[in-house]
Amino acid sequence: MRRRPAVVVSLLIAVAPALGRAQAVQNATVRRAQQAYDNLEYRQALSLGLAALRERLAGAERARVYELVGFSYAALDSILKSVDAFKQVVLIDPERQLDPNRVSPKAYSAFDVALRQVLLVRQLRIDSTGFVAGQGAVPIRFMVTQPARVVTRAIGQTNLLVDSSAWNGQVNLSWSPRLPSGDPVPAGVYTIVVEARLGQNTFSASQQIRVLHGTVDTLPHLTGLPGYQYLPETEIPPQSWRPLGLAFLYTGGAAIGTLGLESGNLGASSKRELAVAGTAALVTGLVMTLRKPAPRPAEGNILYNRLLKEQIARRNADIAKENVTRRQQVQLTVVPLKSGAAR
Amino acid sequence: MSGRDVALVCLGCVGIGWRPAPAQRFSIGPHAVLVDYREVSSGLRYSGAGFGGLATARYRKLSAAVAVERLTLDPTSTSTAGAGFKATQVDAWVAYDVASYASVEVGLMRRTADPGFDAQSMGAVRIGARSAYDLGPGATVSFRADYLAAPKFSGGGRAAFSLDMGLGLDVRLAGRLHGVVDYAFERVNRKTDPGGTGEVSAPIQQTLARVGLGIGF
Repeated sequence: MRRRPAVVVSLLIAVAPALGRAQAVQNATVRRAQQAYDNLEYRQALSLGLAALRERLAGAERARVYELVGFSYAALDSILKSVDAFKQVVLIDPERQLDPNRVSPKAYSAFDVALRQVLLVRQLRIDSTGFVAGQGAVPIRFMVTQPARVVTRAIGQTNLLVDSSAWNGQVNLSWSPRLPSGDPVPAGVYTIVVEARLGQNTFSASQQIRVLHGTVDTLPHLTGLPGYQYLPETEIPPQSWRPLGLAFLYTGGAAIGTLGLESGNLGASSKRELAVAGTAALVTGLVMTLRKPAPRPAEGNILYNRLLKEQIARRNADIAKENVTRRQQVQLTVVPLKSGAAR
Repeated sequence: MSGRDVALVCLGCVGIGWRPAPAQRFSIGPHAVLVDYREVSSGLRYSGAGFGGLATARYRKLSAAVAVERLTLDPTSTSTAGAGFKATQVDAWVAYDVASYASVEVGLMRRTADPGFDAQSMGAVRIGARSAYDLGPGATVSFRADYLAAPKFSGGGRAAFSLDMGLGLDVRLAGRLHGVVDYAFERVNRKTDPGGTGEVSAPIQQTLARVGLGIGF
């Protein structure tokens, strides 16, 4: 009883490659081979698959039959023959991938060996990107299944060499789309061709991209700095007795001066005139004391605002200079189009 | 009223403005005057009133003021004087600000009695300083002290010690209209030598208050 779950899992793994494929099969022999495989009758599936290969099949259907044969050989422990079948699969469909979680380890390892025995350029990917010409690059990713000399070109209005190096495995390239003169490449459709060469064997993959030209966004001028606000340039001082005190001081000075300078021979002078002026001064001082003080300039705030204005003006001058440069730049946008065929 | 009186009245009625606001360059306005005048001894006392006008001008740190008054003085109840007299007084100042609250000033003063023999006419040069502070918006109080140098008297004599001091107030009432109050105390230690018999003290003392309006331009 304990073995039963393991057996069920292994059966599911073996059957998994066939799932979701049977409905697309057109050829009767292929359909019978698929049914035999689904019924775990590997020998019959193998003989039917080999028979189907002798028939006239479309490329995708032929690849499917080779895959069925490869899985059948793997199930029958004929690993070398399984590898040969999987070689045919990837030669027909280089992008073919197996999910290691859904196929048997034997079949997956045979497929992996097959990949490494055939020179392929797979999974060529170019992502959409946008950047200022001269300040960015187009990322190009692909996989080479064997160590090989790989030449990558961009072919469009002009033929540009992107890279020429020896690579193996996953490759990540950055292409700065500029002409030899340093100018950005003209707008248009380009084909990125990756060609791998190992002895007499060559393989290439391509991907079309569209290069668009645009203007670089200019920066808006600043009206303020984040976190820095203008401060009020006037402040209302606290109410004080100073006006009345000053009025007392000045009136007292005049009174003391009058009393001190009076001539003894002439007698005490009239105080009527001093009383008029002194009373007016004291009343004015009292009124000014009781009145709400007038706003006065806040020197610290004025200085702060001046510094803030200067800082903003300096930044705006930098922005204006930057915008002059930006107006002379070109914004490149790269968009991948449909994939090209592998050869 | 003589032609000279009319001219003085016209000048006095034009306007007043003792200390114009910094933005104002020129002010002018009329004022009323209260005056107390004593001479020689405590028995010779006069009290009176008058009217006049005052004009001021300011250019940067320089300021100038001219005041002209026509005074009518009568003997007080305790005076031994038999009759009163009229007087015309002219004061002039030119000041230079040495600080926001202080200035030095020079000027002239001349008082002419009419009839001439009823009181001393005199003239002198002023040299002194003035201090002014803002009490609040549109209100300024000032204090001045001047030495009266080289005094000349119609009756002759000399005065080694002569002082003039004052208290001033300028309040902006509305817009360009200012109220002006000014107090002036003048003490002149005059000495005479009548007939060459030796110097005799004949001091002069005057207190004067101006109350008026001024229009700034």
